[in-house]
Amino acid sequence: MSSSQLHVGEVHAHEHHELSFIHKYIFSTDHKIIGIQFLFTTLLFLVLGGALALLVRTQLAWPHAELPWISSWFLESNGGRMTESFYNMLFSMHASVMIFFVIIPLLAGAFGNFTIPLMIGAPDMAFPKLNMLSYWFMWPAFILILVSFFAEGGAPAAGWTSYPTLASSSMPAGQGFDSPAAPNSGHGQIFWLLSLLFVGVSSMMGSVNYITTIINMRSPGMTLYRMPMTIWALFITAILQAFALPVLTVALILQSLDKLLGTTFFLPPAGLEFANWETGPGGGQPLLWQHLFWFYSHPAVYIMILPAMGMVSDIISTFARRALFGYRAMILSIAGIAGLGFIVWGHHMFQSGMDPRLGTGFMIATIMIALPSAIKTFNWLATVYRGNVQYTAAMLFALAFVAMFIIGGLSGIFMAATPVDIYIHDTYFIVAHLHYVLFSSSLLGIFAGIYYWFPKMFGRLMNESLGKLHFTLTFIFLNGLFFPMHILGVAGLRRRIPDITNAVLESPLVSLNQFMTLCAFALGVSQFIFIYNFFYSLFRGEVSGRNPWHSNTLEWVAPSPPGHGNFETIPVVHRWPYDYGDYGSIDHLKQTDPPDPSHPSGQHH
Amino acid sequence: MGKWWSALFGIVMLACLGMFMVAPFVPTWWLPEGVSTHSGQVDALFYIILYITGFFFVLTEALLVYFMYKYAGQPGTTPRPTEPAAQGGFYAMLHRWFPDAHRVEVAWTIVPALILLFIAFAQVPTWLEIKDRSRKPAIGGEKTPIQCHVSARQFEWRVRYPSSQRLRNWQTFTTNEKTIADFKSFASFDGAKPRHPHLDDVPVVNEVHTWKGQTILVQLNTIDVIHSFNVPHMRVKQDALPGRTIPVWFTPTKANTRYNEETKRWEDAFNFTTGKPDMGYRWEIACAELCGWGHHRMIGRIYVHENKADFYRWLEHVEQSQAPPTKPQQKVAAR
Ligand code: HEM
Ligand SMILES: [Cu+2]
Ligand SMILES: [Cu+2]
Repeated sequence: MSSSQLHVGEVHAHEHHELSFIHKYIFSTDHKIIGIQFLFTTLLFLVLGGALALLVRTQLAWPHAELPWISSWFLESNGGRMTESFYNMLFSMHASVMIFFVIIPLLAGAFGNFTIPLMIGAPDMAFPKLNMLSYWFMWPAFILILVSFFAEGGAPAAGWTSYPTLASSSMPAGQGFDSPAAPNSGHGQIFWLLSLLFVGVSSMMGSVNYITTIINMRSPGMTLYRMPMTIWALFITAILQAFALPVLTVALILQSLDKLLGTTFFLPPAGLEFANWETGPGGGQPLLWQHLFWFYSHPAVYIMILPAMGMVSDIISTFARRALFGYRAMILSIAGIAGLGFIVWGHHMFQSGMDPRLGTGFMIATIMIALPSAIKTFNWLATVYRGNVQYTAAMLFALAFVAMFIIGGLSGIFMAATPVDIYIHDTYFIVAHLHYVLFSSSLLGIFAGIYYWFPKMFGRLMNESLGKLHFTLTFIFLNGLFFPMHILGVAGLRRRIPDITNAVLESPLVSLNQFMTLCAFALGVSQFIFIYNFFYSLFRGEVSGRNPWHSNTLEWVAPSPPGHGNFETIPVVHRWPYDYGDYGSIDHLKQTDPPDPSHPSGQHH
Repeated sequence: MGKWWSALFGIVMLACLGMFMVAPFVPTWWLPEGVSTHSGQVDALFYIILYITGFFFVLTEALLVYFMYKYAGQPGTTPRPTEPAAQGGFYAMLHRWFPDAHRVEVAWTIVPALILLFIAFAQVPTWLEIKDRSRKPAIGGEKTPIQCHVSARQFEWRVRYPSSQRLRNWQTFTTNEKTIADFKSFASFDGAKPRHPHLDDVPVVNEVHTWKGQTILVQLNTIDVIHSFNVPHMRVKQDALPGRTIPVWFTPTKANTRYNEETKRWEDAFNFTTGKPDMGYRWEIACAELCGWGHHRMIGRIYVHENKADFYRWLEHVEQSQAPPTKPQQKVAAR
């Protein structure tokens, strides 16, 4: 623990000189500022991703509508209608933005940065400069992905999965960077690849920092089994990230080489014949990309949910005023999900041409991953059981996380079952699943986290009534939007279809899609309540004080917002964070409360 | 006041449940009728999972809503003590790692684990029967499949049948080595190009034909990007992978194609039970893997003739209308 004492000494030294505005708010090395920087930029990208989604929804509901405003904005027109290429671009960019620029950087970047040092009682991250770099490495990525919208031929349109040979095909070296496979798989795709490379580097710097910080910088008494679930989840996520990311990086580099230098990592030996171009012979294998991509991207889906699970666990325990049920089992199931998460990537490839016998193994591992997910769900339920539930906006979002994750977890079993997946693969059933886990679970968990930590970040409370209104509308409309997708999938609607009136199974589904699109617009409009509440509370919200929720974890011991160095005195930890509600006259025992024989901790040893 | 939140959750979850209960009765909102020999098995597995997950959906959501109602906080409620951890022999052991283990945790770990294992292993036989390449139907005996080559491209399915003569040879059960070799040579490719093309091969576009009860073995490949050979009614889906040829096989249990004397064409979407055209009998090959701007309309059809005779009548008809072989084929053959 001497290392943290050392840092506290440094903190006092820091306080003597005032930092300039630029160093304090822009090129800051303070984990809280970096967290908030991540928060603001990713929320901006959330608006962009949402706008793209609404355009996607418009096209699905009214495939033949004339949208003159689109053609005047984007110079893409087909008699006033949206072109197919434009639609492909919309959903590809929607998914890329939401996954790589919203959910991952929000959870790991914003919440990881903000909470880790505060919740383990450290003055900052282990490597503050690296931390700053990890944020600023996102900027080339932001710029490249935004520039790709204006790339020659159009923004990337090969899906967020960018499968070769649609994405990877290129003209021979020296003949320009157009793609023979699709007009917008040329320049745009190159920007996409480079942008993601920067995201990867940024995430890598973040995760190395998180791992080191959590291992080395815990305050005295903060043993591993006294860490809050948020920290456990972020810790395991960082490990996951550190192991999986290099593989994505390799994949991105290989595809970039194919595109830029005309290598043939993903071009099969006999070459390809496009309508206007015949490639020379290759020597590669298109399936290689899928293995590399999913080897990263399946763990990545857990990177996109485990931190939310951790946050939700802490929020539920706080507002149920009850100890988190099954703490150790919760940790083990996160670890189990992360471990199994490395051997299930093939479930995205059951119908891809991978040897079907191999699919059997991937199927069994995948179905078993539902077990730790189920255990976590039961533990959340048991935490609410016999609680004294306080319905704050944060709690409502956290409970909705549980309700929605049940749906997303259960639909996963259908797709994991290989024969059933034959039918539902690449249909809207998959779209339903991924939105239940990513929007209805992760994003609701993020909202819960924002309502919960807002007072710590800015010293003011968000308005609760507006928060509850935001919750109610979001909860209703997201189910109106996403639940019918299960039905669409069962009925046979393929995903990634700009015009659903072509196929026999699809054309009867237009009116259901129109209902969903109306829900989507209502969902979008409801978010203005949040935006208003966020900015209003930032300046005018009720001043919160240190511990508005009567929570136990360490961040609530620090002032709101905490100053540079976080804690006035180094916090000493005496117990786990879940001593809520059981203590007669005492409502809760903070982690820093000294041992008291008349109020024993709820943690079993 | 807080109790109302449980009502919001309850109503929304009931609406979701209701949608799944209603959908099977809305004609176009549910699985289309399966018309291949294995579709029954696939659907059975779907329903098993549906019932199991449906049960756990209702159980967990109901508990959540009930707890939200029952334990809604009131000011002044007396907090409740945490249950003590379970004691005793097995638990003494468990407590080394899980000092807080409760009996109920053991139950809710083991029971779902067994159910999940059951679900997982229940899939294996059907999956291997449909896809395992070592079970691909081979030449010889009554099970001999008819074979065709489907070459996908942006944005259509080019289909190549052997001549009716060759097909008849494969189908006679007295196969000799030469016929076997010929059968295999049909599926031998150089990239996506047939290695031994015959002058009299029969090309068609966006149509795959077979007859009722007859297994068809599709040799699937692509000349440009990944596509997916997706026939929802047959419960068939297989990506076409550049550089590889992947066998796909299925056996239709119903027919949908007849010769229309008026239009002088073979027409699908015909319901033989009612004797009327019926869009429920249009079985499309709808590309299921994003392949570019035309992906959504890359749609072919499966034509299932009533019987062997009718199928050969169609094949010979196409042969005659296309003879002599078109130029591109000659070029291929000359290579
Ligand atoms: C109970 C646990 C889960 C199981 C059994 C499961 C299973 C699956 C399977 C088998 C697929 C592939 C389906 C197909 O393409 O045919 C899939 C897709 C997907 N899953 Fe899950 N999943 C689970 C949880 C999650 C979670 C927690 C997340 C994210 C937070 C997630 C995100 C996704 C995404 C984004 C896709 C779609 C990828 C794409 O093709 O674009 N899943 N899941
Ligand atoms: Cu996955
Ligand atoms: Cu396609």
